[in-house]
Amino acid sequence: MIEARGLSKRYGDVVAVDDVSFSVAKDEVVGFLGPNGAGKTTTMRMLTGFLPPTDGTASVAGHDIFDAPLAARRCVGYLPESPPLYPEMTVSSYLDFVARIKDVPRRRRREGVERALERCGLTSVRTRVIGTLSKGFRQRVGLAQAIVHEPPVLILDEPTVGLDPLQVREIRGLIAELVAPEQGEAQHAVILSTHILPEVEAICRRVILIHEGRKAVDAPLGELTARGATLEEIFARETTRDAALQQASP
Amino acid sequence: MRHLTDVARRELRGLFVSPVAYAVLALFSVLAGLFFVVSTVAFSDWIFRLQQFQAFDQLSQINLNDQLIAQFYHSMAVVLLFLVPGITMGLLAAEKVQGTEELLLTSPLTIWDVVLGKFLGGALFVSLLVAIVGVYPGLLFLYGDPELGKTLSGLLGVLLVGWTYVAIGVFASSFTRSQVIAFLLTFVLLLVLLILPAIAELGVAGSGSASDLFRYVSTDTHLEELVKGLVDTKDLVYFAVMIGGFLVLTKASVESVRWR
Repeated sequence: MIEARGLSKRYGDVVAVDDVSFSVAKDEVVGFLGPNGAGKTTTMRMLTGFLPPTDGTASVAGHDIFDAPLAARRCVGYLPESPPLYPEMTVSSYLDFVARIKDVPRRRRREGVERALERCGLTSVRTRVIGTLSKGFRQRVGLAQAIVHEPPVLILDEPTVGLDPLQVREIRGLIAELVAPEQGEAQHAVILSTHILPEVEAICRRVILIHEGRKAVDAPLGELTARGATLEEIFARETTRDAALQQASP
Repeated sequence: MRHLTDVARRELRGLFVSPVAYAVLALFSVLAGLFFVVSTVAFSDWIFRLQQFQAFDQLSQINLNDQLIAQFYHSMAVVLLFLVPGITMGLLAAEKVQGTEELLLTSPLTIWDVVLGKFLGGALFVSLLVAIVGVYPGLLFLYGDPELGKTLSGLLGVLLVGWTYVAIGVFASSFTRSQVIAFLLTFVLLLVLLILPAIAELGVAGSGSASDLFRYVSTDTHLEELVKGLVDTKDLVYFAVMIGGFLVLTKASVESVRWR
């Protein structure tokens, strides 16, 4: 579903992402891990077509982001780090607008909005103005926005950052339900970026660890933790190894 | 460019659920009424004086269009200069602050959808303001006998000036996250455009061709022609080039964000 081939992004001399390749299969849920500033957001922005890569390319659901950008973007649901909301709109008119610009055909639009409202637990606030909602509800609207066109690929950038513990649990439950519903089949290939390790353990089956713009680890979660190490230990080892090496060599 | 109207519709809705649209409409109606009353009083005062001096030659040449409506239209173009930046400042700048730029640019929209949609939203709102302008000369038809053609071509002039202001406003709004900066930038650009003929008059621009250019670039020069009732292709082309040009620049500016 997602295929990244040698993605790189440089800003002048600064290398934000360096030659990252990976692929995500249909109905796979991948945790995108790394410390702040590792290049997670930049990588996701390249996959969604917001930023063009300096080098390399990617394809989403078989559409190359350079050759068929519109088709590729149609297949992606994206929740950026801060949900892209218009504070003056009501929840349902906002979702209707998103459905329109995501090319949902007219006859399926209402149904898509209803489904997104329902799946994200927003039916009770559908007529509320977004600006008056709590942060947790706004995050739900952000999620609803990402799934309203039922995209085969979901990209979620730190969806629980800045929420209180209760809201974190709610949103995490919601995502778990979205990616692995109790009834029916999973519909999305998902990349979930986070630096909260329990989140990965709760939701993801595979982990890609990005560190200083490079891919450091790419393995199934079970395989990583089977060797006795916790995810936290692996994270700490991978993200401090370079520093340790640098200190060792005078 | 199928999504142009979606973007424009959302923009208009956004204006009308916030107090901005109503504030601008109310203020504009008040100002338009004020300017109209002032122009009318000045006009009748002048006729009264001409009668006192028994200047029958001048009295026979006087007409509502050239002495009253023309004045009013020019004043309204200046009022728009103050209000349009307030409408356009948020068009693209707010998208950046809200993060909704990321939604638009990761959706299957072209950059033209975004830029033209924003322009259309702003232009439709300004058209509403110009419709208010049109009400006042309309009143004159009840009590007097203005020329319909001249009145309408002048109104068209005000409309085109308003749309040009919007195109420049969208352009300024594409540069910055700050609505205040977008407002000031638009305001300064529009003011410079307005006073270019005055600068040409002063002779600062030097020789003939430069001051001709100054006069040509100014919106006021072309409004003048339309207010006189002269609907000439060259003036219409001027407005088309100004609007089109600034929209092309806006598109380049929005695009450059991605390629930086």
